[in-house]
Amino acid sequence: MSSLILATAHVKGPHIDWAELSPIVVLAVGAIVVLLAGLAGQAQLRRRVIPVLSLVTLAGAVGTEIWRFPHAQTIVAGALRMDDLGLIVDLVCAVSAAAAVLLSLRAEAPREAGHGEFHGLLLFSVMGMAVLISAQDLITLFIGLELLSIPLYVLCASEYRREGSLESGLKYLIIGSVGSATLVYGLAMIYGATGQTGFDQIARVLAGGGANGTLLGDPLLLSGIALVVVGFAFKASVAPFHQWTPDVYEGAPTPITAFMATATKAAALAVFLRFFDVAVISEQTTWAPALATLATATMLIGNVGALGQTSLKRLLGYSGVAQAGYMLSGVVVGTRLGVSSTVFYIVAYLLMNLAAFAVVQHQEAASGDDRIGGLSGLGRRSPALAWSITIAMLALAGVPGTVGFIGKFRLIDALVNGGYGWLAIVLVVGAMISLGYYLRVVAAVWMSPEGVGAATGPTLPGNVAPVAGGSPELDRLPYPEVVAVGVVFAAATIFFGVIPGPLFHFASHAGAALTGLF
Amino acid sequence: MSPTTWGWLVLLFPLLGTITIGLGFRTYSRAAGVIGTAAIGLAFVCAVGALIALLGRAGTHREVVSSLWSYDVSAGVDARLQILVDPISVFMMLVVTGVSTLIHLYSTAYMRSDEGYSRYFAYLNYFVLSMLILVLGGNFVMLIIGWAFVGAASYLLISFWYRRTTATGAGIKAFVINVLGDVGLVLGTFFIFRHTHTVSFLGSFAATPHVFHTDSTDLVAGCLLFLVGAFAKSAQVPLHTWLPDAMEGPTPVSSLIHAATMVTAGVYLIVRLHPLFQLAPTAGEVGAIIGCLTLLIAGTIALVVTDIKRVIAYSTMSQIGYMIMGASAGAYSAALFHLMTHAFFKALLFMAAGSIIGAMAGNQSLDRMSGFRRAMPFTFGCFLVGGLALSGIPPFSGWLSKDAIIAYVNNRGGIYEVLGILGYLGALLTGLYTFRMIFRAFFGEPSPEARELEHGHIAHAEVPTNPATGEEEDMEVGFPGPEHVIAEREPAMKIAMGLLALLAIVGGFIQLPGVSHVITTFLGSSLADAPLASAAHEPSNGTAWIGLIIGAVIGLVGITLAYSVYVRRPGTAARFQAALPWLHRFLVNKWYFDELIDVLVVRPALAIGRFVETVLERIVIAGGVTGGVTAAVRSGSAAVRRAQTGVLRLYAAAVILGLSAVVLYFLISST
Repeated sequence: MSSLILATAHVKGPHIDWAELSPIVVLAVGAIVVLLAGLAGQAQLRRRVIPVLSLVTLAGAVGTEIWRFPHAQTIVAGALRMDDLGLIVDLVCAVSAAAAVLLSLRAEAPREAGHGEFHGLLLFSVMGMAVLISAQDLITLFIGLELLSIPLYVLCASEYRREGSLESGLKYLIIGSVGSATLVYGLAMIYGATGQTGFDQIARVLAGGGANGTLLGDPLLLSGIALVVVGFAFKASVAPFHQWTPDVYEGAPTPITAFMATATKAAALAVFLRFFDVAVISEQTTWAPALATLATATMLIGNVGALGQTSLKRLLGYSGVAQAGYMLSGVVVGTRLGVSSTVFYIVAYLLMNLAAFAVVQHQEAASGDDRIGGLSGLGRRSPALAWSITIAMLALAGVPGTVGFIGKFRLIDALVNGGYGWLAIVLVVGAMISLGYYLRVVAAVWMSPEGVGAATGPTLPGNVAPVAGGSPELDRLPYPEVVAVGVVFAAATIFFGVIPGPLFHFASHAGAALTGLF
Repeated sequence: MSPTTWGWLVLLFPLLGTITIGLGFRTYSRAAGVIGTAAIGLAFVCAVGALIALLGRAGTHREVVSSLWSYDVSAGVDARLQILVDPISVFMMLVVTGVSTLIHLYSTAYMRSDEGYSRYFAYLNYFVLSMLILVLGGNFVMLIIGWAFVGAASYLLISFWYRRTTATGAGIKAFVINVLGDVGLVLGTFFIFRHTHTVSFLGSFAATPHVFHTDSTDLVAGCLLFLVGAFAKSAQVPLHTWLPDAMEGPTPVSSLIHAATMVTAGVYLIVRLHPLFQLAPTAGEVGAIIGCLTLLIAGTIALVVTDIKRVIAYSTMSQIGYMIMGASAGAYSAALFHLMTHAFFKALLFMAAGSIIGAMAGNQSLDRMSGFRRAMPFTFGCFLVGGLALSGIPPFSGWLSKDAIIAYVNNRGGIYEVLGILGYLGALLTGLYTFRMIFRAFFGEPSPEARELEHGHIAHAEVPTNPATGEEEDMEVGFPGPEHVIAEREPAMKIAMGLLALLAIVGGFIQLPGVSHVITTFLGSSLADAPLASAAHEPSNGTAWIGLIIGAVIGLVGITLAYSVYVRRPGTAARFQAALPWLHRFLVNKWYFDELIDVLVVRPALAIGRFVETVLERIVIAGGVTGGVTAAVRSGSAAVRRAQTGVLRLYAAAVILGLSAVVLYFLISST
């Protein structure tokens, strides 16, 4: 490692502060080590060692992120900015990846794709997120986005013997490429209009500091921004660019779905925050109404679309679309309060969704599909998982006492303060509609499977295991790591719903990191 | 340890008790009672710790605030999990935890054969926790939370035997009326918050003299709304009708919640918010008048009711009427003093009543009870002690505390003098109805049940039935179980009742005019900012003693009247009833309050409801609004799902459309 550093030191290049860059370096090194370990001859060894190695890498990333916090510095000649917003969202992505590793320990996907490849790609994707979130330059931004996306295309298709997984990967690839193309086109236009690639320089040009006067309202620039909006909207699954989401979520292996739903969304929203609230903040009067309209459409389409779903993963996909709308509304206001509310919600969203996906993973492993009806009787079979998904659903709907409530409350607070009261109303209406499908899941969990109980009578001791439809797999004990993921994140959902203070404090750092705002 | 650390511990133990019992209620059997009692006992020990820690501080530093964390700060409301430990809250803590411990102990025996034994203790611990949050809360938010929690706990416990239709009905009634009070409390808080810009008690009180002047409109409105909350929780006219019905709950519940603690929360509220009420004398007068009315109305109804628990319930209303009258008039320490002694003797009376009900195989009617004196000497002794304290006979505790209130009210002069004299009339009624109960239940020819008990058997009904409706009981949810218990055979009940009897006798001596003034001194530092609590308004020792003597005489007259009516010349009551049938009807129907509420509130509401249902709901709402909205959401959902074809080409088309729209928008807004 040290020889590597020495070797690069001789190359004439920008000054690199390795301490600042450490989270990204740790991920890169870890990913390469994991890939190499995937070449080990013994399958047993691969199966046991590689997940541990990825967890160690992620722990290292988390450690270095905590080490640099709270902090703000622009590094590598202005290409990256390591600040609290970036560090917090990096943390979210790393935690999400760790959960995905745990959920995939005994899943089909890594076995099919090869452990080294599966985990290596996952780590590269996390690294891409870290680059994307910290990108302070149009070029870095695009590199980060691609580094994030390409491994995901492969991961979606990693259960390549299953048609659904292949279809999911292919769809994601095609639609994702359209998105990337749009984005790169938009970035080129912005560069064309301003002559700059750095966010700070673009902001300065827009604010009137450029050579040829102010560019505000320039058609070339605005077309560029429009294309960038669309490009980001793809990644964050914002309507009407969301249509890949339910299909891909349903087809992809569940640990990957969980990772995409939480980490990709977090990264996409963080880049929304950084790009719009730093680079083109001067154009806020133009882009804010557009984003507000998109947010409205997203909240409504996501919530309405989730209503009739029977597949849990599709339901969570649509729910994720709606939640992206909530978070996007925090970007619209363009204030520090908006940024910290969005970041708070990103963290909240991570907690709630991972608790839910742990249960989906168990459900799929136990019964082979993810029908909502299949959850019935879970309350009896595995109370821990039943509580996890109940808490997750209630939190996603925004029931008080959970972190989802506080998150929505802060977003509404930010919206009203930022002069977007009507968007707050849309948010509340969306949350109302969402109860229609979240509560259906809760009801399914706690309802007994039909026929059980009628024969045994209500007075038997509660611990008698029911015979669920004659399928012995349903009664199999859930894997401990899956239960652990569900319980830990559900507990955190409740904890931060009751004591939100620390998380607020944490998120307000992110708001303060974007210095151009007030 | 600091007083607030003790305060947090006081909250912690009932919380742990609730959670432990609640989570494992299927697995414990007897253990639930032990855990529950121990949790509350430890809370009492910590309350004593808080008292000692507080006494160790100088008089002016006895208001200690502690916050664990802030829930949220928004729109100027800083919602903190905050407690305020000061003499008032420590006093309430001691009363609540002390009496609760004894009642938990009593319950371990009384509820033994109930199927819902663990559930019962989980609820009871939850109630104590809620009540402690109420009295310890350091800001309006905590107060509101505690206020709503005790309402919920009360609902759960009134409807404890949920297969009884009467019990579920009573629970709903209590809950609805309590929620009305919650609304009053919340709205009142807004009136105060609008001006003081803080929800913390100490901050509000400090700001009050600067932002309000005497009888400011908003202040009076706020205080009146607080009074609505107090009336609903403390069963004052006209929001009192839930309390007699609440006797459907198990007897220890009636003893704890509907006599000793929860229903006195209204008194606590007025005392806690005294800096506000000081500046709103109009609200104070309203409170005093309502309290006085309640004590008279409840006293008269108690004369004719035949259900033993309901007689005690009306007596509770009446006694709380005294406290509300006193607290509204400014007799804060006297009101809290009466709150304490009342908790002792009223809890005792209910426990003794529970013992008789056990001996009567669950029947609560005074018409069927008779001559239990010899069969149940211990219960009789306890009931007598409680009755004497309630009637205000020297040297029992109720004598000192009730007459302290009346003496203060008389001393304030003006309209208050009238109220004070009416208070003496209430005292006459108290002696009369209390000893009507005692003479009918314990004197005269022994009833069949009493005879059976004299031969060593507790009576059992062939088929347990609900005494109110005659419907058969579902034994799976109890009705104190198939076995009946009496205090004579249960050491746990004996200990609890014996200790309370002792307290009911000697508890008053801590505040004897001219001799001891423990309560006034202790509460003094909390009330230092209240002109009404200053020495100028307190009656002199001489006046106080004259009041005590008058009170004692009136109580004795009441008892003598009861003796001549029910023992010396039995049948007098029936003759009265025959001579004045309209009066009897009026009183038996409880002054027609239920009917009045029915006519004034329920029926108009129902009529409006029916109209709205037939006209608005069916046509406009169901047809148009709901139907329209759900149809819109449904068709939206269908449209989204139809668009989700899974065909990639169509997705790409949607993307192009969306893309064009976004670009078009940005181009239009370019200059």
